[in-house]
Formats: sequence, structure tokens, C-alpha cells
Amino acid sequence: MGIPSAPLVTKAFKDLAILNAAKRGMPHERICFTPHPVWGKTPEEVRAYVEGPDPVTGKPLMKEIVDALTVPLSDDEKKSGIVSVSVGPPTFTDTADNLQEFYLNNGYTDFLPIILPTEEKVDAMLKATSHKPDEVVGKMAAGAYPPWSYNVRQVAASAVMAGCRPEYFPIVLAIASSGMASLFSSTNSFAFAMIVNGPIRDKLEFNYGIGALGPFAQPNATIGRAWLLMSKNLGNGGIPGDTYLGSLGNNLNYNNVVIAEHEDASPWPPFHVQRGFKKEENVVSLFRGLGVVPGQVARGSSANENVQFDYQMSDLFSTFTGFFGALIIADPLVAVRLKEQGYDTKEKLIAWLYKNTTQTVKDYKSRNYAYLFEYPQALQGREPYATWYKLPDDAVIPHFPRPESFNIVVAGGQTNAYPQAGNLSYGVSVSIDKWM
Amino acid sequence: MNRRKLLSLLGMSPAVLAGSPLLLADDKKKKEKGAAAAGAFKVTALNPRGLPPPITLVPMAPRLATLDGKTVYLVSDGFPGADAFLNQISIWFKKNMPSVTTVYRLKAGGFADDDPKLFAEIKAKGQAVIMAIGH
Repeated sequence: MGIPSAPLVTKAFKDLAILNAAKRGMPHERICFTPHPVWGKTPEEVRAYVEGPDPVTGKPLMKEIVDALTVPLSDDEKKSGIVSVSVGPPTFTDTADNLQEFYLNNGYTDFLPIILPTEEKVDAMLKATSHKPDEVVGKMAAGAYPPWSYNVRQVAASAVMAGCRPEYFPIVLAIASSGMASLFSSTNSFAFAMIVNGPIRDKLEFNYGIGALGPFAQPNATIGRAWLLMSKNLGNGGIPGDTYLGSLGNNLNYNNVVIAEHEDASPWPPFHVQRGFKKEENVVSLFRGLGVVPGQVARGSSANENVQFDYQMSDLFSTFTGFFGALIIADPLVAVRLKEQGYDTKEKLIAWLYKNTTQTVKDYKSRNYAYLFEYPQALQGREPYATWYKLPDDAVIPHFPRPESFNIVVAGGQTNAYPQAGNLSYGVSVSIDKWM
Repeated sequence: MNRRKLLSLLGMSPAVLAGSPLLLADDKKKKEKGAAAAGAFKVTALNPRGLPPPITLVPMAPRLATLDGKTVYLVSDGFPGADAFLNQISIWFKKNMPSVTTVYRLKAGGFADDDPKLFAEIKAKGQAVIMAIGH
């Protein structure tokens, strides 16, 4: 803007603020800090913070703010130009044990042992795609940072490290090409998921039967892990305090939620067909959100002879944040029962869920996510938030902003009629075949 | 961790961070020492890191000689508590620097989004900004 500014940040985000300012070209930005947190404090407590010291420097906060706006700039603060950023040499040579330690100590891993990306193993991976090793695949950032770019060879290194077989590589490349990282800098400890559709599920022996979401098949385990390692190595994500701020973190980040759809057992068209692909195409679809919860906690159960999965799901979703959508992961027994109850299309079920999962405006406004993410959009006139914020407190509104907030996938071994559900929103679907 | 150490994590060139050795260099010494001691068979493995964009340094805006008589915008990025905190800053200015006019605004859009309308207003009517970011 060309106007002096004093950013005011709570102490918990000190490293993030300094590093992000540097990445954006201001390594010496005059950032002032307050104690953390500032929300939920009384006016007296906040006043004490304002009149007290900056917890980082120990100097009076308001003097720091005034100085940040008025003390003349140093030579460093006036600098312009381009600064290169190094990530080290293209290869490392050492004993295998030392390299394991080196990769771990430099944040290249998930702190589990890796397969070292030796030139031989990477070359084998590269033979599984027709794309050239130096071809740029895409750009990735794990938050509101300048994105990093990467080529086919660099993607192959993460695929090797994760334990992928070469034949998995086109799926890993498809994920990489989306630019979507499976780590995000938010304090919310996000989780990520993928759905794999098409004949490749059987060709690579994905598990979509008993224990579909569990550690029971190599492609499910390693491709999800490769997404994490790419997010760290190619997108620079997952550095606590810098590019990762999740307060509790999320165990699902280790290899993400990998869902191969049980297409043959589903009474509905597979997910990728809903997204405009042909059934014989191989596609990976990516989701982002807060996590997955079991359906058993909701009303009704398979012990009930007239179990109503629609009400059960609606009940479950009332605890979800509407900001993210609802990904229904239905065991085939659940899906078939729903069809028998009249939901012969996914669209019918979604329409019912959208209409019947509701909240009052008062409850909506009280939600943290509404205030944080949707109220600012309401101020810009974006719907439905602009309308919702104008309604009286006792008005009843949908829990989710639009029917498209819901998605349905079928997977599982039919040992019991239990659904699970992710507070996960759809991101993108990518062709795997393009990367073969 | 101090600012210089933090910035070295970015891999910014020593020209900007004079005297800040890259962490990678430290690790290289350790691994060489370990390998020599072990005398074990060596392998070559790829650096899995992607390519970070170069950093374009942005000169900071010239500072004001004084805040006396100036209009300072207090901008919240929408995180909880920023509004209450900025309100107390406004009260502090009234009490301690009464010639300063403060104007509170909630930035529209997501926390990382630009708000061109607001930024245009600040440029037209304000002389300084205090922006509250955090929780």
C-alpha cells in the first residue's frame, strides 16, 4: 500500500510471522507481539496486554507499535532485489544408516523409516510414467505461502521414500499435479482424504473390502504416505511453528484417508462418474477437512429392524462444521439399504440431508467457523452467508451452505452396516491415466 | 529461536544473512564424520526437496515523522479477539496520544485474502495501519 504498517501478532505465531514476512520479501518487518491468546479475555485483561510489554522483546507494546510506524528505516529495511533460496545439493552420498539419520534430521520424513531414494530406485519409478524426469509437474504450498515447484524426478523421490511400487507412480504424479498439499498451516489440525476410482483399483490390488480404511494393503498405505511426504518435501509443509500450526495435530496425516471405492458393490454410480469421468477412467479425487467420525455414535443402529441411515447421518452431521462438507463413507450394506428405502440416486439422499440437517441462525452465528470464515464473506455479499446474517436469530437455516457440500462414496467389507463420515470437503479430481 | 536463526531455515543466501550458516552444512559435517568412523559402503540418494521460489525483497514503506494529527487504521483480519484488542488500542490512543484519529475496520474475505476496497480506503484516508493477526 505504501503506508507504514505495524503487524500485531500473538506470541504463539512468532516464528510463522517472521518467516512468512521473509518469504514475502520483508525479512526485517517490524512485527509486534502480544501475549497469546487474546480471545476470551475480559476488557481489563486485554487492556493490561495493551499497556504491558511485548512478550518477545520485553519492551512496552504501545511504544513498539508507535516506533514501528515512526522510526526511520534502516538500510536493510529499504533493500530491494532478488534473493535465492537453497535447499541443498541434488544428491547426498553416505552410508545408508547415515542417510536415514540425515533425512530424518532435516525434516524430509514422517519420522518413520523410509526407503532411501537412491538413483536406482528413482530410475525404476521413473520408468512407470511416459513423462520426462525434468518435466514440471506443478506447484504446492501448505498454506498461504509462496508455492514451491517440482518435477517428475522429485515426485519420484517421495514415492520411493514412502514405499510405493513403481506401478503406483502415476497415481502419485496425479496427486502431485493437483498442487493440493495434505498438510495445511491452520491451527485446526486438518485431515485429508483421497478417493481412487477406476480399473486401477483392481490392477494395483487396492483394498476396498474388509478394513477398507485400515492398514491392510500396500497401495492404500504407501500412496497416502507419499502424499504426506510430497507435502513436506515438495510443498515445504509440516514445519511446526512455520508451515504447520495445528494445535493438536492429526494422526490421519501419517498416510491420509485413502478410499478405493467398492464400485461393484455400490448401488449408485461411482464417485468419479459423478464428476464427469467415464467409468473405465482411472481418477483420484482429493478432499480436505477436519477428520472422520464413526456413524455408530448417531441415532439408530443396525440392530434396529427399521434402521434409518438418513436420520442417523443427519444427526451425525449436526456436529460438523458447515464450512467443510460431509463425505459419507458408506459400507455397501448401508448404501444398498438406503436404496431400498427410496434413495435410488445419491442426489436424492443429498437433497434430503441438505433439507433436514438444520440449525437456527443463533446457533449458526455462535459457531467459531461462521464468525471466522463466513462472516467476512457475508460482508462481501457472498451467499448464502449474506442472507443468513440478515435473518432473525430463531430462523431455521440449512446446516451446510449448499447441497454440493455433501459427497458419497461406497467402501467396506459388508461385515456390518456401519457408515463413517468425514467433515471433509471436495477439492479436485485428477486423471491418473494422463500420468501413465 | 532468534530471527537470524529462523531465517536461516529458509535457506536464504548468506548475502542477506551474513554469518548464518545453513543447517544443511552442519549436518553434512556430522554425516561425514559418521561415515568415516564407520567406513561403511556409501550410497547416493536424491534430495527430495522441491524448488522454492526466489524471494523478491520489498522495501518497506517510509515511516512517518510522527503520529500526531494522523489517522491510523486499526484492521482486524477476523480472528477471534482481534476486535477487542484493537478497541483497547483505540482507547490507549485517545488517552495517551489524543491527536491521533483511529478508524476500526474488519477486513473482508478470508484471513489471507486481500481486501482491495479497504486497502484503497486506507490509502486515500489513512496514514498508518495497525493490523491485528492472531487468535
